[in-house]
Amino acid sequence: MFIQILNGLAYGGLLYIVSVGLVLIFGLRRIVNFAHGSLFMIGAYVGFSVAAIGSFWGAILIAAVVLGLVGALLDISIFRPLQREDPIVTVLVTFGLLLVLEDFAQFVWGKDFLRMPVPAMFAGSVSIFGDSFPAYRLVVIATAALVGLGLTLWLHLSKIGLYVRASNADPLTTAMQGVDTDRVSIIVVALGAALAGLSGTISAPLLALSPSMGGYILIESFIVVVVGGLGSFAGAFIAAIVIGQVHNFGLVYVPWAATMFPFVLMVAVLIWRPTGIAGSHV
Amino acid sequence: MTNTVTEESMVTPSQPLAHTYAAGIAIVAFFVGAGIAALVASNLAMTLLTQAVITGLLATGVGFLIRQNGMVSFGHAAFYGIACYAIALAMRHGIVRAELAIVLALVVPTAIAFFLGLVIVRIPGVAFSMLTLAVGQAFYEFAMKARNVTGGEDGFSVKLPSTIFGIKTAIFQNPHTMFVVSWGVFVVIVLFLTMVATSPFGRLTAAIRENEERSRFIGYETVLPRVLVLTLSALVTAVAGVLFTLYNTFVSPDVLHWSLSGSALIMAIIGGPRLIWGPGFGAIIYFFAKDIAGDISEHWQAIIGIILIIVMVLLPTGLGGTLAGLLRRRVGYG
Amino acid sequence: MAENYAIEGIDLTRSFSGFFALNGVSIAVPRGEIRGLIGPNGAGKSTLIDVLSGRAARWSGRVKMFGEDISAMSAQQRRRSGVARSFQRTNIFPDLTVLDQLEIAARAAEIPNVDEIMSELTLSALAHKRATDTSYGDQRRLDLALALIGRPKVLLLDEPAAGLSIKESLDLAHNLRDLAARWGVTVLLVEHDMEVVFSICDRITVLHLGNILAEGTPAEIREIPEVVTAYLGSTV
Repeated sequence: MFIQILNGLAYGGLLYIVSVGLVLIFGLRRIVNFAHGSLFMIGAYVGFSVAAIGSFWGAILIAAVVLGLVGALLDISIFRPLQREDPIVTVLVTFGLLLVLEDFAQFVWGKDFLRMPVPAMFAGSVSIFGDSFPAYRLVVIATAALVGLGLTLWLHLSKIGLYVRASNADPLTTAMQGVDTDRVSIIVVALGAALAGLSGTISAPLLALSPSMGGYILIESFIVVVVGGLGSFAGAFIAAIVIGQVHNFGLVYVPWAATMFPFVLMVAVLIWRPTGIAGSHV
Repeated sequence: MTNTVTEESMVTPSQPLAHTYAAGIAIVAFFVGAGIAALVASNLAMTLLTQAVITGLLATGVGFLIRQNGMVSFGHAAFYGIACYAIALAMRHGIVRAELAIVLALVVPTAIAFFLGLVIVRIPGVAFSMLTLAVGQAFYEFAMKARNVTGGEDGFSVKLPSTIFGIKTAIFQNPHTMFVVSWGVFVVIVLFLTMVATSPFGRLTAAIRENEERSRFIGYETVLPRVLVLTLSALVTAVAGVLFTLYNTFVSPDVLHWSLSGSALIMAIIGGPRLIWGPGFGAIIYFFAKDIAGDISEHWQAIIGIILIIVMVLLPTGLGGTLAGLLRRRVGYG
Repeated sequence: MAENYAIEGIDLTRSFSGFFALNGVSIAVPRGEIRGLIGPNGAGKSTLIDVLSGRAARWSGRVKMFGEDISAMSAQQRRRSGVARSFQRTNIFPDLTVLDQLEIAARAAEIPNVDEIMSELTLSALAHKRATDTSYGDQRRLDLALALIGRPKVLLLDEPAAGLSIKESLDLAHNLRDLAARWGVTVLLVEHDMEVVFSICDRITVLHLGNILAEGTPAEIREIPEVVTAYLGSTV
């Protein structure tokens, strides 16, 4: 039982790190990046390639840095020029980007599933209350917790973090406070993309890598942010943890319907509260 | 100042007249299509055209939702795929006659759209797009996992009787004759949607799309009209699903996958959703461009991604809209 | 008798995070009266219009029209039963023609007086123009026209003259006064321009920080020293 909770926690934690990137960008620019899942996917592949020749930690670092740069580029070349357009324009443009990135990954890494081995130092299991549990999943939980904690501290203590939170609550007034939105935006989008890249690499040993994995994770993280309430960090956190548990318990007890549970949960939450758990306006 | 009514009747043709005009174009368009089917001998070209028209109908549903509700759906493959599975499953288990299965295939996704619509049309803007992507994919996941019902990933072939509605089933499976059937259906639906769009209901939904709040403050309920537009758009999509199943006689979860929704959306955007016929036009461009690109490069997906980006940034009314605009300037009005 | 009040708000309260936009405000406008609603920014004028018209969420108190409790009615229900409003920030259908949007509004109304409204507000010449292609002043009049379609019984006008020149504002004001008299419509008018308010209103209510500070005829309001110092300044 406890082991199952941990399994769900590992999945939920990863979902949170991926979803945070969406929350950050939405809060600042009121747009949604449909290529966000592709950033995760590219992160997984980059991590895979680096880990094949270097260390696991190096892979995580490089994936995060590379994707951070991609994020900065994304902000300068797409989000900024389109900021005065209807947000749906950005949705469709990033959807086009999703197709390009998938094709790119297929070109570089091929169509077939790739598997990244669990790093040797975490290959074993540990015993928790007498049950054995893969050590690597503990690493995943710890990383998710560290990133989540770091992000929360950053949001509450740094100047940019304060700005991002204020902007989430009220973008119009915040924009008038004389902060350079473009500079903040590059940092925030790069950070969101870096987190997607980082979580891609960390997930890689747990998943089969394929160019289409981005679509799957995109949909999962959409469920998280819609259930949590667009633009809410706390909402996304709760939603990710709950969906992680729901997903995992579904897999154990009702495997044929497990993938449906997050969707059902989402529709149920939306009937109850159309703006999601944290209920901010869209 | 008081003679605006007479002025108006001079400027815009009255509605019955406009409808006669549209019906005339539709009849001509139908015979042009039939002529193409008669003249083009190549099976390959006709296969492509038939696929384009059927998928174009799916795109028409997606485009109509954008046009009337301003809502961009990433989940219309759900309505399409449910229609496909409805026929396939009904035939597989021999529950009902083929004709009734087709009716069911139209009713079930339309009803699902209606009830789902009551929840999701309240969710505005980008969140609606995210939500449709997720909800649409839920049906795909179900079809993948519920193997004992749907056959899972492998899909299964659909057994059809030798005649349906008195028409030989073979007609639906030959690309030449199926093109004429699909094209006829497409023309009728475009004509019908044009009449809906110019009706008071169509004008009201356009107003709600423009400004939902003010629509309420001039006295209108705004949820139900939008739900009805979604329902109608799902019905059109279901018709596409029925045609696909009759033509292809095989279903697999691919018909529910979000990449199909995405392709249909791209067709609608490329063709221009402001025009009722724009998405269908976009579908024809999509299929032929894909065929041509396939000969020179393996990167169709990247190419269509880039085309989508270019159209979004440079041609906000789509190729069809831009073309129509150019023609209008040529002819010298508007 | 309560039925003599065309529109009535009773003990209306609306607060966001501890700040009271309306703090137990009661207001009653008799049938046929033009009531001015003045007060500094943040006094709660627009919030009051929002609550009366059904735009506001989470408020308490009651709203009555001719004695009938309409508190539970949605915005569209209130509009159909005769309470219409205009908006401070122009709230029209930018992509529709002037005629199109007035006709759509008319279909929801019992009296489809499109031609009447277009000529009253000098919009006839613009009938076939898209709203977004007309001037700011035209758009302001169109916003008002959308509220006037169907000859509503109660008009809640949130700064209909916002952004207009002094001459345009005064023209609009007297236009309104005229219409109101002919139709017997009751008006609650939020307006910044004191010249407009004092020239067309029968009575004036002064709001301050979510409370009613004073209420009376224009002459009486001019005489209240705190109103003059707090709000009117020395110009009136």
